[in-house]
Amino acid sequence: MMKAGVQNKLYYLLPVLSVLTLMIVWVILAAQDGSLIPTPYETLSRFLGIMANPISQATLPLHVWVSLRRVLLAFVAAILLGVSLGVMFGWNETFNSFIYPIFELLRPIPPIAWIPLVILWFGIGEFPKIFIVFIGSFMPIVLNTHSGITSIDPLLIKAGQALGANRTQLLFHVALPATIPAILAGIKTALSSGWMCVIAAEMIVAKQGVGFLIVRGQESGDTALIVTCMLVIGIVNAMISFTLTRLEGVLCPWQFGKTK
Amino acid sequence: MAVWENKIELRDVSKTFYTKQSDVEVLKDDSLNVRENEFLVLLGPGQCGKTVLLNIIAGLEQESGGSITFTGGRPKMGDLGIVFQKYALYPWKTVMSNVEMGPQMKGIDQSTRRKNAQKYIDLVGLTNFEKSYPQQLSGGMKQRVGIARAYATESDIMLMDEPFGALDAQTRYSMQEEILKIWEKRKRTVIFVTNNLEEAVYLGDRIILLGGKPTSVKKEYVPDIPRPRKYTDTAFLALRNEIADNTDLSL
Repeated sequence: MMKAGVQNKLYYLLPVLSVLTLMIVWVILAAQDGSLIPTPYETLSRFLGIMANPISQATLPLHVWVSLRRVLLAFVAAILLGVSLGVMFGWNETFNSFIYPIFELLRPIPPIAWIPLVILWFGIGEFPKIFIVFIGSFMPIVLNTHSGITSIDPLLIKAGQALGANRTQLLFHVALPATIPAILAGIKTALSSGWMCVIAAEMIVAKQGVGFLIVRGQESGDTALIVTCMLVIGIVNAMISFTLTRLEGVLCPWQFGKTK
Repeated sequence: MAVWENKIELRDVSKTFYTKQSDVEVLKDDSLNVRENEFLVLLGPGQCGKTVLLNIIAGLEQESGGSITFTGGRPKMGDLGIVFQKYALYPWKTVMSNVEMGPQMKGIDQSTRRKNAQKYIDLVGLTNFEKSYPQQLSGGMKQRVGIARAYATESDIMLMDEPFGALDAQTRYSMQEEILKIWEKRKRTVIFVTNNLEEAVYLGDRIILLGGKPTSVKKEYVPDIPRPRKYTDTAFLALRNEIADNTDLSL
């Protein structure tokens, strides 16, 4: 058996090696004749370039903010409506059997497939983009809330009844708190999906935003700009996930053992 | 011997579950009296319908036939203390919030219900754990929370459904001791359901042996053994064996 210490060091070393390998492969590919891949250096300097020099009247942080703002606005609406709808599906049998089939029919349609129709309906302003993101983030929130609230341990409901809780109290003291982890899981999926949708919507029609920027790179053959945007899109998504995981710890402290 | 007053009377209680495949008769003509402030043990094998009987007394299930009479009328939901085998604590509520939930549902103001809840948290020996979440507690401590929560309903009837069934043997012994201490400090009418013979003999003022399919009352035992009882006592073992001979515990 390998010594534990050596093994631990190896586990720290391997990720570094793996990233390093990727960078080397990147450099080699970029160095080929007629390569359409920008070198890491070109990418970095392009990145610094749009931090300082605006494209379409906006530097990179503004483009990111424009995209994020669309996501966040859509997101607030999606959480409010999605959680309420999911709870009603789980809590009201009549409502569930009447509305859920409609929901099941619309659900498999990818949000991006709505773009043409939404543009025809609402034109090319801010609202249609927000609407597309809304569609993309609404579905996972409803689904997760619904599955969360229907899979509550029946014993917890029974105990609540035994403690004298009426139906409203059962909802707010038992069902909803029990569903929070599922709702948060839905929110996580929804935010990733919403971020994807905003890029897609912006790629089709927009004057600002990261999606617009990446298409601008394509139109002008600026591969460094494209790669910069791809990296930025990835990083923003990772930061969103990270924030949400932290939020989970704040909202459901009971899931994470120790508190003071 | 004191004159016992009946607290709950069950007359010919039956329960049948109707499913698509078949009708399952679980309880048949069960009659028994529960006396005020006694520690009554319902002893029966697993899957015999003890829990169903308890749920019917609790009002969580409806009997198919027969009657249940409470002296002073049937308590409303929330006016009966119930302790569940699987604790049924709310993981997102602290020990304090779990214990005070019954009174909270009745709209009792926070300072009053906190003070009461604290009394029962102290009673079950969980002082200083008020702010812990159930997940941070051991099985035995979780069930102490369950007991405190049942007491905090201020009900004079406590229904306990195999409350120590999920605990390891060692914890189980100490909880049996503990529950008697708690009960002796604050007398309540306790109906304690178990499938464990020794537990029944250790705890009960009276032991009602249930058995058969559908389940009916087979026999009643009154252990004439002073508390605290010892598992190795001759009288204890004699009663244990007597019940064992009469029972279909080992299915």
